Amino acid sequence: MNDSKYYIDAGTTWTKILEILPIGERKYSVYPTNQARKFNLNYEKITGHTSDKNSNKYENEVVALAMGAKAHLENNFIALDLGSRDVKWIKFKNGKFSDMDWNSSCAAATGATVEMLLKFYDVKVEDLKFCEEKYPVTCGIFGLEKIMDDVSKGLLPSIAISKFIHGIAYNAYNFTKNPDKICISGGFCENKCFMDSLQKYCEVLPLGRFVLVDGLALRP
Amino acid sequence: MTKDIIAFWGYPHPDLIKKTKIQYSSAKWVDLDICYNYPSSKFTPDAYCGIIKNIFDNAFYLKDRIIKIIAAVGKDKCDSGFFAANLLKQEGFDIEISFFEETLPLNQLPDVPICKSSLPLKEKLSLITANIIEQKNYSHLVQTKARFGFWGVPPNDLNICDLFPSQTHVFGWSRCVEAKNPANFELEMFVEPDLPTVFFAQTFCSKTALAKYLADKYNGLYIDIDVTPSNSAYAKIEAFLRLR
Repeated sequence: MNDSKYYIDAGTTWTKILEILPIGERKYSVYPTNQARKFNLNYEKITGHTSDKNSNKYENEVVALAMGAKAHLENNFIALDLGSRDVKWIKFKNGKFSDMDWNSSCAAATGATVEMLLKFYDVKVEDLKFCEEKYPVTCGIFGLEKIMDDVSKGLLPSIAISKFIHGIAYNAYNFTKNPDKICISGGFCENKCFMDSLQKYCEVLPLGRFVLVDGLALRP
Repeated sequence: MTKDIIAFWGYPHPDLIKKTKIQYSSAKWVDLDICYNYPSSKFTPDAYCGIIKNIFDNAFYLKDRIIKIIAAVGKDKCDSGFFAANLLKQEGFDIEISFFEETLPLNQLPDVPICKSSLPLKEKLSLITANIIEQKNYSHLVQTKARFGFWGVPPNDLNICDLFPSQTHVFGWSRCVEAKNPANFELEMFVEPDLPTVFFAQTFCSKTALAKYLADKYNGLYIDIDVTPSNSAYAKIEAFLRLR
């Protein structure tokens, strides 16, 4: 019998799992969500866009982010989680919740869009490099149009996608109200082009992909 | 079809309500601000205040039954109320306009037992609006110490109220209505500074400026919702109430 405890962040594209073994050891893993759905794990808590929000084990994503980030950070911070289809952030001041926002209405310029672009243009994420120029991605569809226009004129797709990612980073900076420092949660931590782009505007601290599951494990 | 409805929106002047009740004693009163899920009249642009859309949708759906509409058009309502009154008049409705702009100083206002009661928020807001026409005394309601505040007009979709605990006090225009001072700007801007408060306005309503200003000033949560709340709106309110 498996006595491990599981905490799950079931995102739109990727599912992050924290397994806490009976001896207290923590194991982290990531699976495509359509694959993770088949695991049928008996979990303690769950969060994320594809989880059942009516379940008594469901935790609000912003609350999970807040708890997870608080465990990692000092008393004053802004943590931003940029996911496949949404972006949310939380601010703590003197150890207390101070501000937040969550935009899940338009998912045009988030992780899933970047993954689709990479597949569409057959570009590897490692090939993306920070570009001084950016596309305006207030509307992701207009951003995509800019990419297609420029690629048709001969621009390398990797450069066009890098400009798009710079636009996402600039949006993230504005969405969080232009702070001096942003702590980044989620898959974009591993996207060097994004992190370098955001560093143009403020100090950036990567927290990794497991902040939300860490937050779930802290909740009673 | 028999005309049997006196329709209204906002908070018509009490003298006008009284006079109309005497004149049409058997008429049924219908608040056009409320969403009854009648078919869309498609009278306004899509990007328009949900409450004002309700007014048009309800008015056109009930047109054959409406005797007259008592239309609040003063500072107690909004510019859109004024426009709605005039447009509906052009469409053949019998419109009687109402200004209810008298105000009292804060220290002379009547108490607001519904706003401060232990009733669920949805019930508080429903009672406040129902009390416009059928005035009842609610001084017997059990009062509660506030844990949270809700500022704003009654939302088009009251389901977001279910997120709030019953220890939520009501502020903003809804409080003004209970205090029988719908145009009292001072009361509308009154909140308890240290009380975690959600500042709500209908999307496309000019009260969004007040809500945003007050949320920034008192470190509350600003939220605007169109016809029905998005998942994001639910989640933000839920997170705010959990974390504050």
